[in-house]
Amino acid sequence: MTDLIGSVLVLLGAIFHFSAGLGMLRMPDVYTRMQAGTKASTLGNTLVLAGLAIHHPSWGLKLLIIVYFVLMTNPVSSHALARAAHSIRIPMAGDTGIDALRDARQEAGSGT
Amino acid sequence: MISRIVLTTGFLLVLIGLWGVLTRRNILRIIIGFSLMGTGTHIVIVAIGYVTNGTAPIIDHALSLSEAASRAVDPIPSALAVTAIVIGMAVTAVMLAYAIRLYESKKTLSIDAFTESKW
Amino acid sequence: MTRRLSIIVAIVSFGLVFASLVVGYTEQQTARPLAESYIRLVPQELGAPNVITGILLTYRAFDTLGEVAVLFMVAASVGLVLGKERQPRSGPLADRFDEVKPSSEIVQTGTQTLVPLISIFAAYIIMNGHLTAGGGFQGGAVIASGVLLMLLAYPQYQPGLEFLGITESVAGALFVLAGIAGLIVADGFLDNRILPLGQFGAFFSAGAIPVLSALLGIKVGCELSVILERFRP
Repeated sequence: MTDLIGSVLVLLGAIFHFSAGLGMLRMPDVYTRMQAGTKASTLGNTLVLAGLAIHHPSWGLKLLIIVYFVLMTNPVSSHALARAAHSIRIPMAGDTGIDALRDARQEAGSGT
Repeated sequence: MISRIVLTTGFLLVLIGLWGVLTRRNILRIIIGFSLMGTGTHIVIVAIGYVTNGTAPIIDHALSLSEAASRAVDPIPSALAVTAIVIGMAVTAVMLAYAIRLYESKKTLSIDAFTESKW
Repeated sequence: MTRRLSIIVAIVSFGLVFASLVVGYTEQQTARPLAESYIRLVPQELGAPNVITGILLTYRAFDTLGEVAVLFMVAASVGLVLGKERQPRSGPLADRFDEVKPSSEIVQTGTQTLVPLISIFAAYIIMNGHLTAGGGFQGGAVIASGVLLMLLAYPQYQPGLEFLGITESVAGALFVLAGIAGLIVADGFLDNRILPLGQFGAFFSAGAIPVLSALLGIKVGCELSVILERFRP
């Protein structure tokens, strides 16, 4: 029974990884592609490791440390990439409405 | 069965990398194609050493000393793969250095701009 | 048109060769004689539980020395290609690099949390090379990834090229000296029995393999850091 739950979780993680890859292919510009890739693949990682922890309960602490490490590094790196892309002014997709970083930088620049 | 699947995946990666090297015009994408070919070759090397129902050749509480000779996977392809990965990374570093100098000379990343060596 | 045709012909022919290799492949039922002798000999003669590290650092240690030479040559060639004074930023994207902005607070906080963890992990991988999976090359690559994180998060960070160059040269020289000591004291070049074998599976065991792993890890880490430092604008 626990094997079944673990295997279903691993399958869900694999589906999320596949949707991350599909999103990176189909999204219109850099920022939306980064969003699809990071969020879906981090969640896919977490689900696969949770399913593995249910299969082998003795590995639970080590897998928890790995999940913590993935959660620390994946969002930070995509944040740095998105900021760098915005700094060299890569154009956004056509129907983007709000650009919060540009507004914040203009406020900070004009406030001082 | 398992090693046949891994072998097919490795060969597929080599074919995809080769297609990328031959069809792309951007220098950085060509370098990614070379890196893919290298990764596929490493997977093929490790897959060849698989022994049926074998496990990693490390002697700990999972694999005792007496049954190591019969149940362990071939260790030599893994040792070759360690060397190959390091050298592949080094070659990629040299290719990227060349890409930077090529960009600084012609201000473009397309290899169609470099025609001096063609016939 | 002929270009596309020749590309298709090349890829299809490679695919046919690979398919014939896959079809004619049968899994081994037992290990080959050379592999079986290595699996038997490494715990018995060298006292190392990890067979692969035993092969890489004793039986085929000369290949490892050659690979160290290849890494040194790559560092020298990257230094040659990228070392001179390069032109200041120019070209189609020149107007986009206004100045070097400091990295955001999230990246700096993440770096301060992660770099000690990465360093401890690299030391663990290097020193446990003879007990479980790991060794000199893998630990050296992890050290270099920690240096890369510092370079990305703090743009003014200078790792000190002279210090790294001196460290890697001293580590390489000590590696060769340990090999010559193996010639004098034990059975051959880079033999690991110059130090006592110790108890099987303990931390300080397997002769000179932990020492050689540590020297390899330091050399590879410094080498890769020098290569990464050259890529800065």
